Amino acid sequence: MRPILNLFSLLILFPVISFCQTTISGRITDAKNQPVAGANVTIKDSYDGASADANGAYKFSTSDEGDVIIVASMVGFTSAEKRLHLSGGEVVVNFNLKEASNELNTVTITAGVFEASDEKKMVILSPLDIVTTASSVGDIYGALQTLPGAQPTQEQEGLFVRGGDASEAKTLIDGMLVANPYFSSVPDVPQRGRFSPFLFKGTNFSTGGYSAQYGQAMSSVLVLESEDLPPRSMGNIALMTVGGGGGYTKRWENTSLGANATYINLAPYFAMNKQNRDWDAPPQSFSGSLVFRQKTSETGMLKAFMNYQYSDLSLNYPNIDDVTNNSKMHFGLNNYNIFSMLSYKEVLDKKWTLNLAGSYSKDLSRVRPSPQSLVFSNQLWQARGSVSHTLGELSVIRAGAEVQYNPFSNLYNNHRMDSTELYSAVFLEGDAYITRKLVARAGLRVENSYLLRASNIAPRLSVAYKLGKYDQLNFAYGDFYQTPDRNYLIQTNLDYFEKATHYILNYQYVDEKRTFRIEGYYKLYQNLVRTSNPVSNPYQPVLAEDSKGKGYARGVDVFWRDKKTLKYTDYWISYSYIDAKRSTLYYYSEELQPTFTSNHIVNVVWKRWFPKLRSSFGFTYAYASGRPYFNPNKVDESNILSDRTRDYHNLSITANYLTTIYKYFTVVSLTVGNVAGFDNVFTYNYSSDGLRRNAIGPTSKRTIFLGVFINIGRDDDTE
Amino acid sequence: MLKDAKTGEDYTNAANAFERIAKAETKEWLPSYYEAFALILSANDVSDAAKKDAVLDKAMEVAKAAEAISPDNSEIVTLQSWITSMKISVDPMNRGQKLGMEASVLTSRAIELDPENPRPYLLQGTGLFYTPEQFGGGKDKAQKVLEKAVEKFNSFKPKNKLMPNWGKERAMSLLEECKK
Repeated sequence: MRPILNLFSLLILFPVISFCQTTISGRITDAKNQPVAGANVTIKDSYDGASADANGAYKFSTSDEGDVIIVASMVGFTSAEKRLHLSGGEVVVNFNLKEASNELNTVTITAGVFEASDEKKMVILSPLDIVTTASSVGDIYGALQTLPGAQPTQEQEGLFVRGGDASEAKTLIDGMLVANPYFSSVPDVPQRGRFSPFLFKGTNFSTGGYSAQYGQAMSSVLVLESEDLPPRSMGNIALMTVGGGGGYTKRWENTSLGANATYINLAPYFAMNKQNRDWDAPPQSFSGSLVFRQKTSETGMLKAFMNYQYSDLSLNYPNIDDVTNNSKMHFGLNNYNIFSMLSYKEVLDKKWTLNLAGSYSKDLSRVRPSPQSLVFSNQLWQARGSVSHTLGELSVIRAGAEVQYNPFSNLYNNHRMDSTELYSAVFLEGDAYITRKLVARAGLRVENSYLLRASNIAPRLSVAYKLGKYDQLNFAYGDFYQTPDRNYLIQTNLDYFEKATHYILNYQYVDEKRTFRIEGYYKLYQNLVRTSNPVSNPYQPVLAEDSKGKGYARGVDVFWRDKKTLKYTDYWISYSYIDAKRSTLYYYSEELQPTFTSNHIVNVVWKRWFPKLRSSFGFTYAYASGRPYFNPNKVDESNILSDRTRDYHNLSITANYLTTIYKYFTVVSLTVGNVAGFDNVFTYNYSSDGLRRNAIGPTSKRTIFLGVFINIGRDDDTE
Repeated sequence: MLKDAKTGEDYTNAANAFERIAKAETKEWLPSYYEAFALILSANDVSDAAKKDAVLDKAMEVAKAAEAISPDNSEIVTLQSWITSMKISVDPMNRGQKLGMEASVLTSRAIELDPENPRPYLLQGTGLFYTPEQFGGGKDKAQKVLEKAVEKFNSFKPKNKLMPNWGKERAMSLLEECKK
């Protein structure tokens, strides 16, 4: 090292001494001819070179002779090289540097997409936003319901997006479909999502026009990307008014293994907070999960995830057909759910990305709407493989295939029906950057369903153009197919995929602190399943009549988020206008507004951080105009579904207090839902003679949640 | 050059000079080390968040190149931890939790690799100094670590003039702040 050290110290301690054979000078500019101050100009494989000054000018001398390569580089720009023959004297070499692609100067596809990530800067929501939104109570789906396009529903779970029902919205984890993403459904009681938002580093919620990578969803896909290796071993404990849980993750060099368990029992909470339902056994659940990560190379990652959940509950519904109102109908539910998956990702040769994933899940529900006994079993095996290849600087081509094998059975008392669906699909898609300001994504997806004995070809297209530094325009079009609900297929022969065609026009302005977007859409439905009765209960067998239903949804979504104007304050406002109609009732030819859509929806989410109090406070206000409901006294073509419930209002507040318990970082969280006590009605249940009805509102007037979350292992080594 | 540097521009020029040396001397870790060091200091002067991120990303890239030449080097790992902490300052709300943990893992590793290196203690102390008590930081905790850092600085002797030897003054002035 000695000789080099000497040279090296010369350079540090003295100005460059040279014997002045050739003097090289010039100017470094960018595409707009502005100087690139601080650019580094150097002769390849030598110490000689200089930095550009504030005017972009540089000058240095070299004793090198003959053919050399001279390189100009600067952070944020693509390096440029020029060949030069040195033979003394003075040479002028100017460089014009091209800006390297980054989030600011390159257009991205944004139509229909809400992305939450902590890796990219300019996303609309971060994972933390999900848990700090007052009305979400830590549920991913609760937070997504504050975004435009999604309907706030409180009598059933799921995402109702742009005039679509919950079955049209699919959830995927690392590319694998989650067949039962919510805790099992009970009539008139909403359920939460099964997975904690902390399992995911990226959340991509798309309300339309999505990529050919995704199928079997006519309205929406929620693409969740799981966390990689945790930075270190750590644990957590959660104590809540509704139960408790904990977990620990051990990190080795390239491996991690974590285990989590949670027990929830709502009995004590129900005893404190008056319920609008007659609970026999309040909901209880046990969840256990294992998370394994193995870094297989610098760019390779193997992930395994297994989640087991058991839940049960029972309650009594008033028997509205009994005039004395003394008899009740008992309803009990036991649910067992397993979701497991294995995925592998590797980047080969920097240009090829390979994704492989496999999953097995099983959901078993035993339902007792006494005196009946029903058992529903649903198993799903799936495999998926895809490759993507980068072309040039930004363009990408993707291809993949997936298979789902889905045996399921329904047992109605002693009558058993079972069947098996086999679904397969291939897709091919390319993102072509014509310039950095203009990108076109074109894709094609081909699907086949064994039960339908049918195939489809779904084209997708999205074109985005960057208007300025922060704003862009995006158009998207696509066909989206979905196999009808398996409970229809088990009894009726249907021949068609349900189909939706989307047209979306999106304008978006996003800088680091503010977001504004407005999106208009038109959605055309074809081949929807028609039934003779409205579907009111998830366990009531409803027969499909045919596939001749059609409909449309059109509307405008507006979103504004501002983290800048008010200090320590972050708020967003979303507004949706939806005009949706569909003909899914066999005896009616007219298209009617579905019971799950409101015409106007407003959400206001506000959060403020108070550093001195170490606390944050927030509220969410949701408004939705009244929804249609089924009134058996109005069943004519002219007046069916013409009644509307009263408008929905909900004001929820939340407070989070940060502290330490022993030496462990702790968050104390309190949330009160519907604090103003609005009387909300979602729908009405009628007696069979149509003379009496019960209003179906939320399960309790107000909701209260108190939780203490302790992180263990954060400052172990500061001791 | 590095010692006389005062402005962001000076540091950029210094980083450029070290980059030129690093590109020519591909078997030495010190040029890359000082390039990353100068880039970190130049980032202090950048107000544009995206640019700051780009400079810090480059610093990390260069620090990783240094690590490839000289693996398990406490000084290089210290720089990596410093870069990670700087990245938090670009967007503390969203990056704090995740990168904060990564930075502290890197400092622990730097101490493990060379318990006599005072600089990881300085970073750890600085981190605690700027972390509010309720997040596990605070002046009291910082003081203990900084006292240790100063102690190590007093006994630290670089192997030669070119080896990293920065941070003593900073540690001492921060320690004074803690005692106030």
